[in-house]
Amino acid sequence: MTKSFFAFVVLAAAALPHSAHADDAKAGQELALDRAKGNCLACHTIKGGDAPSSVGRELVGMKRRFPNRADLVEILTDEPMRNSIAPMPPFGRNHILTRAEIEKIVDFLYTL
Amino acid sequence: MKRSMKRSILLAAGLVMLSLPALAATQEEAEAALAAARAAESEAVAAKAAWIPTETALIKAAKALAAEKWDEAKLAADEALALARLSVEQANEQKTSWRNAVFR
Amino acid sequence: MVYRNANGETRMIKSSCPGRWALARTVVCALLLAAAPAKAADKTDPETDRKALQAFFFAKFPKVDKAEFGNGPYAVNEEMRKQWTDIMQFPPYEIALDEGHAEWDKPFANGKHYADCFDNKGEGIRQTYPRFIAETGQVETLEGAINRCRVENGEKPLDPMTGLMASLAAVMSESSRGKPFAIAIPDDPRALAAYDRGKEFFYSRKGQLGVSCASCHMSPAGERMRGDILAPALGILAAMPIYRSDWGSMGTSIRRISTCSSQTRAVPLKADDEDYRDVEYFLSYMSNGIPVVGPGTRP
Repeated sequence: MTKSFFAFVVLAAAALPHSAHADDAKAGQELALDRAKGNCLACHTIKGGDAPSSVGRELVGMKRRFPNRADLVEILTDEPMRNSIAPMPPFGRNHILTRAEIEKIVDFLYTL
Repeated sequence: MKRSMKRSILLAAGLVMLSLPALAATQEEAEAALAAARAAESEAVAAKAAWIPTETALIKAAKALAAEKWDEAKLAADEALALARLSVEQANEQKTSWRNAVFR
Repeated sequence: MVYRNANGETRMIKSSCPGRWALARTVVCALLLAAAPAKAADKTDPETDRKALQAFFFAKFPKVDKAEFGNGPYAVNEEMRKQWTDIMQFPPYEIALDEGHAEWDKPFANGKHYADCFDNKGEGIRQTYPRFIAETGQVETLEGAINRCRVENGEKPLDPMTGLMASLAAVMSESSRGKPFAIAIPDDPRALAAYDRGKEFFYSRKGQLGVSCASCHMSPAGERMRGDILAPALGILAAMPIYRSDWGSMGTSIRRISTCSSQTRAVPLKADDEDYRDVEYFLSYMSNGIPVVGPGTRP
């Protein structure tokens, strides 16, 4: 019964118009830095991060490099599909991240 | 109340009414979901493709089942099933596509 | 007309029929030529693979001496090498070596010794492991051979990952220091099949993270992953067994391979699983010519 109530609250909140891009970017940053989630610092250097990883490219100038948001979503969803030797895990395809989480991380990436 | 806000609440209520039956799981559904997930994971283990998160989700589902939390159990079991299937899918797909990764 | 058949061997079509069959012959030749290269590409040639992989790494790390590849991250990164030089003032595997020598010299309950199980009394042979064993049709690792020695002499097998096994492996490795890997793939289709399976395992994406051994140890070798430097696949087993600071203890190849499995969020296989033995076989063969440097230490 409690579960249904919370579900209602969540759906209601989702249905309300949200201008929460800033909130999403913040949530995205947490997801990106979370070792159990994006763990992006394992391979990428990110401003504000504490690891000079170099397996992947530094995540900077993202708006200029990826003007098409769908490309970033695709990269986070299944990069090995685009590049067969990519060391990047297929975060979306293998359920490491949900679609919603990926969208938030993309919001964060666009602040870099 | 603003019109858009009224509309949003009505929309939300409608969605909830539609989805409520799907959200509430019964004991039978939860047990069936766990059984299906375990069967899928056995397949993954046999294919030497088992993933750690699948095992974690199965344990979570079993614990929730024992605590009679049917919704939670079904949710975890469904996720375990999805992960188990993905793991077998990846292993099968890799059987042919691994050669694409050999450096040139 | 010269062509390559399905086995990659060169053959010639001699035509004894006059021109009327020329078209048919050309068509047949064309079909054979079209079919043959695909087959030839599928057929494994370990030596070709090895030369290509070694050329890949020699080109990637032109300043690294061939003999250094067994030192992994320490060979390809200056900063790491400095840390390593400090650590090596007091090699952390010395205790394991002491334990290993003591155990090696101790007779089994039946009076026999470890030395009786191996050629050259077990000295200077580590670089030939893993070996393909014709009797079983299976690849046997160094640890597998040590355990077989124990069992055949009435002793219980050891945990192949650490402890006493690692100490014994350390002794055998030390006696082979400087000797280049010399893995043999005998003229036996089962041995070639084991090599093939090892190669496939190396390149197949696994675990929820969906990465393969190659994902990290080929192109990204030498790059930084948080505080670590990714080791090149070439020579990656040459320093085994290792004292790994992360573990605070010794570990054999299988311990490291198994840990890697978990790190990709795959449920690790059994320690003596064929897949693990085959990938060790493949990796070791790829390192033929690279000297053994073990036992070693890692971050």
